[in-house]
Amino acid sequence: MAGLSDLELRRELQALGFQPGPITDTTRNVYRNKLRRLRGEARLRDDERRRDEARSWSPERLREEAPLRARPAASFPRAEAGLSPSASSAGSSTSGPYGDFGAPASPWAGSRGLAFPARPGPLRRRASVRGSSEDDDDARTPDRAAAGPGRHWWAPSSASARPPSALLGADTRPGLKASRTGAAGAVRARPEAGRRLERCLSRLLLWASLGLLLVFLGILWVKMGKPSAPQEAEDNMKLLPVDCERQTDEFCQAKQKAALLELLHELYNFLAIQAGNFECGNPEKLKSKCIPVLEAQEYIANVTSSPSARFEAALTWILSSNKDVGIWLKGEDPSELVTTVDKVVCLESARPRMGVGCRLSRALLTAVTHVLIFFWCLAFLWGLLILLKYRWRKLEEEEQAICGPGPLCGLGAGHGTLPICGHPPRARHPNPPTEPAANEASVGPSCGIPGFQ
Amino acid sequence: MGEKPVGSLAGIGEVLGKKLEERGFDKAYVVLGQFLGLKKDEDLFREWLKDTCGANAKQSRDCFGCLREWCDAFL
Repeated sequence: MAGLSDLELRRELQALGFQPGPITDTTRNVYRNKLRRLRGEARLRDDERRRDEARSWSPERLREEAPLRARPAASFPRAEAGLSPSASSAGSSTSGPYGDFGAPASPWAGSRGLAFPARPGPLRRRASVRGSSEDDDDARTPDRAAAGPGRHWWAPSSASARPPSALLGADTRPGLKASRTGAAGAVRARPEAGRRLERCLSRLLLWASLGLLLVFLGILWVKMGKPSAPQEAEDNMKLLPVDCERQTDEFCQAKQKAALLELLHELYNFLAIQAGNFECGNPEKLKSKCIPVLEAQEYIANVTSSPSARFEAALTWILSSNKDVGIWLKGEDPSELVTTVDKVVCLESARPRMGVGCRLSRALLTAVTHVLIFFWCLAFLWGLLILLKYRWRKLEEEEQAICGPGPLCGLGAGHGTLPICGHPPRARHPNPPTEPAANEASVGPSCGIPGFQ
Repeated sequence: MGEKPVGSLAGIGEVLGKKLEERGFDKAYVVLGQFLGLKKDEDLFREWLKDTCGANAKQSRDCFGCLREWCDAFL
């Protein structure tokens, strides 16, 4: 290097990508040192490159890349120590986390949870560089794994489940390896990582949509409701042809009760059907779900050949019973509770019976509105977020416009002074007067550093 | 800047100033010339200063900063 002439020195520096200034007696040594330093760095970069290429074709590649994925937390401090000496190797560090030759397909495979022990060496340097992104992936995928049903082969968030899935990871690796081409490095690793990401996301979406569909169907089924029988229905009760109107022995009382219940059952059905019709299109043009007492009585008299006394007895029984029989007795004033049969004006069913189609359409409507509400909320929040981001960006731009780039600007602005150092250049006098000292002192840069005195 | 001595630069005191003058950098503008010749590169200038007069990190940083500010204002 000592024998280099100025021109040769300049050419060497330019070959290494550095543009030197004039090489004079005073600057020659400086540039020689610079050349020495640049040559050393270039040599280090080439060595690493050669080493990586040689390693990428070895069959050990499979196992060696495992520590890059595994990244258990314990190895982080060790990896950090390995990172500092490698910081000087500009080549590997400048190309970013994906810019390594022989880089594995993607960090996503690591999130599958392989518990290979971390191995020392230059691999760990790259592992640590990718560490933060992998940590994020690890944190994110367990959440999603918990959310998605049926994805049994995604490792759950607990670390103990990782070793069993390591085998699974190893099985998928040959498939991954087949998809990988040679040691291209940065550009190829990125699209592969992207493809892997896409695949995982699409799988996630599939399972999530299946799960949602199941949930949706479940809600529909619940809303449709199982046809619930009235609590006191005794369908198979038939009246024996015994005249029990006036006798009051036990058998008759039981039979009377049965008849009462049958009447109630009929009433309940009638009211339910009427209410259902009213809800589902109202073909009979009813005014409301509440059926007037007389109408109900008439119907019951037609269906069962029971006298009106029994009807009133039934109503009394309903009033006196504490259970929810599915029939509401409404008086003149809807908000007031009726206590006597006289006050009852109309009857309403608590469980309207609607057709299957009607039920289905109502359930669908409810479900859809609920989902829409959820989406509206989401959209609103998202809009809010965008607004905030926009505001924030505007503020930053304003600040930059005032201050200009530079770390000292904010400090200067706080003290109420503009950065004087950015003044436009002043024209120099062709004949500098002999009183420059006083002049210069007043216009010199007062940038916090003791300038010219 | 005029004909100010080299000791008027930030970071350059008596000792360093004398050393620079011995090497021929007797005026501030000569050091400015060197600074501009090294294309205002911080690492190169500071290394040069260290090699020429033995300035430590703080002194070289101050000198570099001073010259840079001056150039930003007047050049």
